[in-house]
Amino acid sequence: MELFLDQVWTARWPLWDGFLLTIEIAAAAIACGTLLGCLVGIQLVFAPTLIRLPFRIYVDVMRGTPLLVLILAAFYIPSVVGLNLSATQAGIVALALFAGAHIGELLRGALQSIPPGQSEAARSIGLTFPQMLAYVLLPQALRSALPPWINTGVELIKGSSLLSMIGVGELLLKTQEVIGRTFMTIEFYVFAGVLYLVTNILLDQLGKTVERRVGGHL
Amino acid sequence: MTQPVTQLTTQPMHPLLEIRGLRKQFGTLDVLKGVDLALNQREVVSVIGSSGSGKTTLLRCVNLLEEFQGGEIVLDGESIGYRVSDGRRHRLRDRELSRQRSMTGMVFQSFNLFPHLSAAGNVMLGLRKVRRMARDEARAIAEKWLARVGLAARADHYPSQLSGGQQQRVAIARALAMDPKLVLLDEVTSALDPELVQEVLNTVKSIADDGATLLIVTHEMRFARDVSNRVVFMEQGQIVEDGPPSEIFGNPRSQRLAEFLRNTRT
Repeated sequence: MELFLDQVWTARWPLWDGFLLTIEIAAAAIACGTLLGCLVGIQLVFAPTLIRLPFRIYVDVMRGTPLLVLILAAFYIPSVVGLNLSATQAGIVALALFAGAHIGELLRGALQSIPPGQSEAARSIGLTFPQMLAYVLLPQALRSALPPWINTGVELIKGSSLLSMIGVGELLLKTQEVIGRTFMTIEFYVFAGVLYLVTNILLDQLGKTVERRVGGHL
Repeated sequence: MTQPVTQLTTQPMHPLLEIRGLRKQFGTLDVLKGVDLALNQREVVSVIGSSGSGKTTLLRCVNLLEEFQGGEIVLDGESIGYRVSDGRRHRLRDRELSRQRSMTGMVFQSFNLFPHLSAAGNVMLGLRKVRRMARDEARAIAEKWLARVGLAARADHYPSQLSGGQQQRVAIARALAMDPKLVLLDEVTSALDPELVQEVLNTVKSIADDGATLLIVTHEMRFARDVSNRVVFMEQGQIVEDGPPSEIFGNPRSQRLAEFLRNTRT
């Protein structure tokens, strides 16, 4: 045990860098994915059929494809068409596209579960469509979508470990490098697992706190 | 906006609302089969009839929540919802529809308050975003109207913290604060517990006494008789009788109205 703690101390900086990169990648992906998801969710509910169709296809393809396949696709396809993305950038693109589809779908559900009387009341006082969306529908939908949204964040933190496959130096890859040097396989995998677990539990608690704060009147 | 030439000379008593030959279909079902109805300023008109007679649909057409296929609705000299060019009707654009909707206030059967906003917030939303008032000004008007419906102390409560009757009074304040030319009330007591009905009816009565123009769809016959200048009886998408309450309730001319009244008498 003491030997293990010594090795952890020796490897603290690479592990810390990997952990930070994991958080940064997940944060970037949830930010981009949320913007994308808002656009997608609104189109899925309100756009005419022909415009809705490509968004529907996007969501179904993303949700039906394994995340690892998405990551490999984002890593290899851009270089074929002459786009030069680093492994980290490609990984963020893949996670953001994945998150955008999930968030779009859960926002669609949240919007559609708002009773039609809400938009009728909004229209009857003279709000235009964008105003109705901004002040009546989205505030309600975002609140009810908050718990699954946090859940998507947890999925992204876990999913970011797959980026080790394309050589992104996040927590899992850094852990594997340390294992390569120390041969303490089980100890360091458990250590990394605990880090993921603690991070996700904290995120979940944060979500519950925010939910209590804003969701009280729905 | 092109206006019909005949409307340019304002007659002393042109009706505030004029519905002419209104026709509305849901698919193949004729819901409104040529409805004519006129309301003068400060008039209070109740529409009665069995469910499915088209009375709620009529109200929703006036507030442009429904499209209609034929006829015309003219509010204060302005044709509502459609313009005619090259002999074809075109639905107006969203922005125009919104402006026209803000000329009428609507109170719904199920209140439809915005659950994420306080009572004052509900009343202020239209004032802020449609009338573009500053926050303080909107707040002052909201407080005035909440006091008017007896809810001054509830301004910062959320809908989930209010009783059904209180929610409906907030909804009435929300509609009236916009200073509409015409207020549409759609079965405003139908979703309420019996003991909460009277407080809402009293509120409606008092705004009628203040000179608001009201078009009311109701199942409360006694209320229709007390509050209205005129009562309209609808059946199967048509207006069957139209007259002062004393005549409609005291001396129905058609067989169908007599039957309807017999069945609803409590």
